Amino acid sequence: MNLPNLVLADFLPLLPAIIMVAGASILLLSEVFLSATSSRAYQAVLTVVTAVAAGAVAVALMFEPPQEVLLGFGVLDPFSSFLTLVVCVGLGLAALSAVSFLRKRGAERGEFYALMLFASAGMSLLAMSNELITVFVNVEVLSIATYALTAYLRRGTRPSEAGFKYFILGAFSSAVLLYGAALLYGATGTTQLTAMVGPLGAAMQSQPGLVYTGVVLVGAGFAFKVAAVPFHMWTPDVYEGAPTPVTALMSAGVKAAAFASMVRVFITVGKGIDPQMLLALFSTLAFLTMVAGNLLAIPQRNVKRMLAYSSIAHAGYLLVGVAALFVTAPGESFRLLGASALTGGTALDVARAEALRGILYYLLAYTFSAVGAFAMVSALERREDEEKGTAWDLERFSGLAQRRPGWAFAMAAFMLSLGGIPPTIGFMSKLLIFQAAVDAGLIGLTIVGVLSSAAGVYYYLRVVVYMFMRPVPEGAQVLERSWSTELALVLSTAAVVVLGIIPGPVMGWLVQASTIFGQ
Amino acid sequence: MSFFDTHLLNLVVFLPLVFAALVLVLPGSEPGQIRTVTFIAMLVDAVFGVWAYLRYVPGGPEFQLEYRVPWFEMFGTSYHIGVDGLAVSLLLLTVFLGPLVVLASTTYISHRIKEFHLALLVLQTTMLGALVSLDVLLFYVFFEAMLIPMYLMVGVWGAEDRQMAAVKFFLYTLAGSLLMLVAIIAVYFISAPAGSRSFDYAALYNGLLDANRQVTACMGGPQGACDSLSGLARTMHTWGPWLFAAFALAFAIKVPMWPVHTWLPDAHVQAPVAGSMILAGVMLKMGTFGFWRFAIPLFPAAAQNARPFLAVLSVIGIVYGALMCLAQRDIKKLIAYSSVSHLGYCMLGILAVTAEGATGSAYQMLNHGVSTGALFLLFGFLYERRHSRLMADFGGIAKVMPVFTAAFLIITFSSVAVPGTNGFIGEFLVLLGTFKSDLGVAAGNPHLTVVFGAFATLGVILGAAYMLWMVQKVFFGGLTHRENQHLRDMNLREGLTVLPFIILVGVMGLMPQPFLDRLAPSTDRFLARARVGTPGAPVQDDQVRVEVMSLPSSITAAAPSAPVPLAAVPSQRQ
Repeated sequence: MNLPNLVLADFLPLLPAIIMVAGASILLLSEVFLSATSSRAYQAVLTVVTAVAAGAVAVALMFEPPQEVLLGFGVLDPFSSFLTLVVCVGLGLAALSAVSFLRKRGAERGEFYALMLFASAGMSLLAMSNELITVFVNVEVLSIATYALTAYLRRGTRPSEAGFKYFILGAFSSAVLLYGAALLYGATGTTQLTAMVGPLGAAMQSQPGLVYTGVVLVGAGFAFKVAAVPFHMWTPDVYEGAPTPVTALMSAGVKAAAFASMVRVFITVGKGIDPQMLLALFSTLAFLTMVAGNLLAIPQRNVKRMLAYSSIAHAGYLLVGVAALFVTAPGESFRLLGASALTGGTALDVARAEALRGILYYLLAYTFSAVGAFAMVSALERREDEEKGTAWDLERFSGLAQRRPGWAFAMAAFMLSLGGIPPTIGFMSKLLIFQAAVDAGLIGLTIVGVLSSAAGVYYYLRVVVYMFMRPVPEGAQVLERSWSTELALVLSTAAVVVLGIIPGPVMGWLVQASTIFGQ
Repeated sequence: MSFFDTHLLNLVVFLPLVFAALVLVLPGSEPGQIRTVTFIAMLVDAVFGVWAYLRYVPGGPEFQLEYRVPWFEMFGTSYHIGVDGLAVSLLLLTVFLGPLVVLASTTYISHRIKEFHLALLVLQTTMLGALVSLDVLLFYVFFEAMLIPMYLMVGVWGAEDRQMAAVKFFLYTLAGSLLMLVAIIAVYFISAPAGSRSFDYAALYNGLLDANRQVTACMGGPQGACDSLSGLARTMHTWGPWLFAAFALAFAIKVPMWPVHTWLPDAHVQAPVAGSMILAGVMLKMGTFGFWRFAIPLFPAAAQNARPFLAVLSVIGIVYGALMCLAQRDIKKLIAYSSVSHLGYCMLGILAVTAEGATGSAYQMLNHGVSTGALFLLFGFLYERRHSRLMADFGGIAKVMPVFTAAFLIITFSSVAVPGTNGFIGEFLVLLGTFKSDLGVAAGNPHLTVVFGAFATLGVILGAAYMLWMVQKVFFGGLTHRENQHLRDMNLREGLTVLPFIILVGVMGLMPQPFLDRLAPSTDRFLARARVGTPGAPVQDDQVRVEVMSLPSSITAAAPSAPVPLAAVPSQRQ
């Protein structure tokens, strides 16, 4: 085997991940020199600076032409750069909300932020992975970091229960993914996605059973990671048990990266096998996930758990977009034109390009809304109540509008955005997904989505009811303010409201980001 | 057009929002200051609104004072506003109510005053925005956004069961309008080929026009004539009824039409006086306005087929609302149900598709805003004094509150359409239009027209019965309750709040012509557009097509930055 010559420029596309790993290494190394009582304020600052730097580099890389990275194990395309940006946004906001969370628990340690950075680097690399083994490795990089983060607070039974549950089910789903990948390798003789298209078509003729089993297993593995019904069972317990800033990072970053990788893998697979099968697969998943996610969220009185179920429901809306990617006319072979679909594509080309943009925009919108909401939850919770399970009760929000009008406004904006009510970014992103679905002809799925999101508004509004329409309970806790949480709230509220009214540069990035390598 | 003309509507729409930002930074501990600033904002906005009303030239182009800039180009949408005759009239009604609502709430609202006025100002912007939007997506954004402040208004400052009423109101309206959103996207999708799609009202309407005409022609033709349709016309023939149903449901909930009216009594009863006034005065009109602007013109053939059905629902609403009023013991609920009955007239007038009916309906929209707004206002004064909504708790009030009684009587006359008041002109025109309409023919038997008319007339009689009965129980007879013996009559502020309503009742009743002049061009165009769905109706191209200003460049799906050329993709590794 000839080892290739790698020069420094070959690593340039990995710069966002390199920045994050470097930041994590600095945190780990510097921690060694600190005593137990030293100030650790710099750690969060360093994390946020790292996230901002990596995000800025990702924006710059978005305008590079699509190219292979490191011998084709990964690719750099605007799609992956946009995803890296989303991950960095989620990381930065989650790190800001972690500052006072950790201080209140006396758990400030460099490892926490380092693990967050390692997980984010894994997410960024997963979005770039173009080879099944690399996909698996990066899934593990981000998963193992999040397993550790979930069980980071070792007091009480909940974090370790959540961490253990997440680890067992996560390992199981990774194994399913790996098994599926192995079957696909067996059928095609390659793990490289770009090279797989041709052999996949041939294998469909000779060994359809092998290919189908592989595709379904890979799909199931990703469905675990994005928390699609019926692979969602771990989500509520893990989201509830994990430290809230970690939950925020999981709901935004892990989901975004898993969706990105799922889209990349199945776009390749869709060219080799009948896209109708993928359409059926993702339509079913989308239907189940939207309906079950919303219905299960309705009875929740625990806001953190409600947000967990809501994150399942949102995976459902995203899956509508994924399903719309695979709509083809009878006899038409599947293709994805990216940005050029708008000028020279058929109606379905346009619909598929819209679906891709919808998915990306939705991930960004969900990141701002959900991470903001989790930041709010973490600002209200107290460690003493965690064991009793009342730390996240709706009662916490009673009368918040009188005590902290700014917080209540921010939370209301997040809830309305998650519910898809204009004028918020949540509405615009939902509109883009449903618009693509209608364009692709998935009317039934769209109507189910719209109706289930109407049902969803009920539980989002309940939070608003408690904040604005209930009196302040007697003996309510003192609400401590912290600059970092408030900064996270201000940034995400501004994004939720402003991007819902003025698109700004994001629209240009989106058009750009619908370019996927090799399409 | 001058700079001021170009931005006049922007000013009217967003002035309340700008003042909301000002209220936001005012200290919450000084309620007087907040009230004054909000009142001034509403007053200045009313001045600009009246100015816009006067700037509208009845004989000019359909949409005037237009303004259009790119907005979310990716969706094929633009920020496009402008007014036609009906919109500018409803805009006048909205800015008219604005300052009066603030005055009406001066003592009614005693807690969380800053938030209340913020909600009022934001609500004003969203309502005005919905009225002037010429882009369907922009309309939808405002249409949905107005739910949020109204929801808070009912839920925070309402009566005992406010939370239930607020959530019911929100979810009911939202479910309907979300289905409409799917229909909007579908219309956007079918009205133009990929690459030139747009949410603009003119683009959607003109895009569907030819197909609508073909569908109408084939439906008037022999059996099976519609089988040979092709392309868009075929789509409209198959999907038009469903799309119309989605639009109609969303607006019917807002109107509200029987049987989707059940949110209204709860919301009205629980809402504070300002909420009731705005809800009755403006928000219900969004439903009728939606039918007039969107549902019927976009799907004339489907609307033509659904007309008898919707007319039956309207007539049921008229009679049912009136019967429910007769059964009420709660005054506020009575006024709420009277809205169901009165809005039934507005719908019937629209569905009659006659000049009299449409004019009467449009006029009735304004009248209802004035008279029911004033009824809620006056009842609010009474409620502040007695904290009861039950008729049984009153009686003989005229002896202690003569001025109040006089004002209430005048408004009651307007509400029951006594000649000389504004209500008479509206209801008379609607009844006339119904009797002259072809609703019976559309329903299958020409004689049915008279039945529609007869039931609608019955509603007028019942309307007089329940209102006068209520007035008699509340104001006349003996002062049976000791608590009522020392009720104060209206003070100066309350009198000044009611006065504009009373003046308007007289002015609109005796001099309707200036108002009707501005409605006339909209009425003509609405009729021409609705008749696109009537087989054999004359073709009036100049009336039917929607002409609007265009954007400097194509707004559809323009890529803000050049896409990456695909040639730049390196060849695949083998």
